[in-house]
Amino acid sequence: MRAPLDQRSPWPGIAGLLISLWLALSIEAVAARLFGSGAPFPNFVLIALFIWSIRRPFFVSPPLVLVAGLAHDLFSGGPLGIWALAYLAAFTIARDREADGSGADFGPMAARFTVLTAVATLGAWAAGSASTGFPAPLGGLITEGVLTILVFLAFGWAFARRKERTAFY
Amino acid sequence: MVQRRSARRRDEEGVRFSPWLFAICFALAGAFLYADRPDRRFEPLSDFRASFNDAMLPLLQTVDEPLRGFGNMGPWWRRHFELAEENRALRLQIAELRAWRDVARSLQERNARYREVLDVQGPDVGRRITAWTVADQSSDFVRSRLIDAGAEDRVRSGYPVVNLYGLVGRTVDVGRQSSRVLMLTDFNSRIAVMADRSNARALLVGDNSDFPRLDYLGRDPDLLPGDRIVTSGDDNVMPRGLPVGEAVIDRDGRWRVALYHRVAPIDLVWVWPFEPVPDPADDPVSVLEGDGAAPVVTPAAVPDDQGAEGEG
Repeated sequence: MRAPLDQRSPWPGIAGLLISLWLALSIEAVAARLFGSGAPFPNFVLIALFIWSIRRPFFVSPPLVLVAGLAHDLFSGGPLGIWALAYLAAFTIARDREADGSGADFGPMAARFTVLTAVATLGAWAAGSASTGFPAPLGGLITEGVLTILVFLAFGWAFARRKERTAFY
Repeated sequence: MVQRRSARRRDEEGVRFSPWLFAICFALAGAFLYADRPDRRFEPLSDFRASFNDAMLPLLQTVDEPLRGFGNMGPWWRRHFELAEENRALRLQIAELRAWRDVARSLQERNARYREVLDVQGPDVGRRITAWTVADQSSDFVRSRLIDAGAEDRVRSGYPVVNLYGLVGRTVDVGRQSSRVLMLTDFNSRIAVMADRSNARALLVGDNSDFPRLDYLGRDPDLLPGDRIVTSGDDNVMPRGLPVGEAVIDRDGRWRVALYHRVAPIDLVWVWPFEPVPDPADDPVSVLEGDGAAPVVTPAAVPDDQGAEGEG
């Protein structure tokens, strides 16, 4: 039996968080090279942030969300601030679990992640359009959002089966 | 299980971040977004981005090499059964091209003699800088590539980048060992072009689609589908005559360009060290005022005739 969260050392968690974010960013960079520009690809950074906000909520603070968003912008070569604003907007709206009381159970969590992805997609579109001065194409972003939700559901379902009752915990 | 669930509940109840923290982060992200607008980029951010690309270069190169091999394997595997037929066609082409090679050599010699006689100065094609693309930094908001040549290889911001087939874009965010190439398809790309056949001028405007549009063509442009589009050099950003693509009409009746560089994946590219003609205001003519003596112009004030070279 594992020790309660508050008695465990935070360092393995911090290392896990940083490694998973790094992997998510690298996968995005490699996927763009492999499948070519414009090919929609799941947003693994958003998935990693959300999973860690469930496993260790205190780690996923607004500054970390900001840095993850800026790193995503740097890796994708886009103007700085687009994904940072999108992630901040999404986590401001969709992360408060006390408000919706959904905990880490799979169904409500999936619903919350869908809202989170929708807000992040809209936020990225709005910020990207504001930055470039032209309305960004929404089709690619929506496809990317849908793929992200599907991948998250697949992960969550697999974890939920393994853990019998809860996902990502 | 009970302990784990109760721990989880404790954890959930304890996590609340200050609204001020969110507000500060929002303000920072907004400031970055404002400062890093593509049309008016804040120089230190551009330098930071270039340094970041430099730092990431070894990792991206490591990842890229097996991917490049894998990517090159695809077309070969798919076209394995067509190789014999293609080989036969290529032999015929080689026979035909031998005749053209002789014509080209003869013209090259004549061209060199004319240049000598006319004392034409043009860009030195031999100075082109070879680079590999190591990352495809493209998203819904930007179309760019990362290449493994930077300031150490004499790359400067704004240099044209070409591949075997045509113009790819121009360099922005030049780091020590890497540079970012803004593709012709990017929202912020504007290049002066013309039709090779009729010299009809236009502006090639990227709109993040695969086929950038031709703007400012005039009321009745002398343009036909399939016309070869090349850079005109009118914008003093690109040399004249770099091949760009073919004119096509989209479903809405607008002129667009099917880019030549999209024929194959962009791997090997050349950076063209093109120095724009200096503005007369920035580079005034030095005139020695004397007693009726003829004005003397310093050699630096005489611009190279880039156009004559580009047409070749």
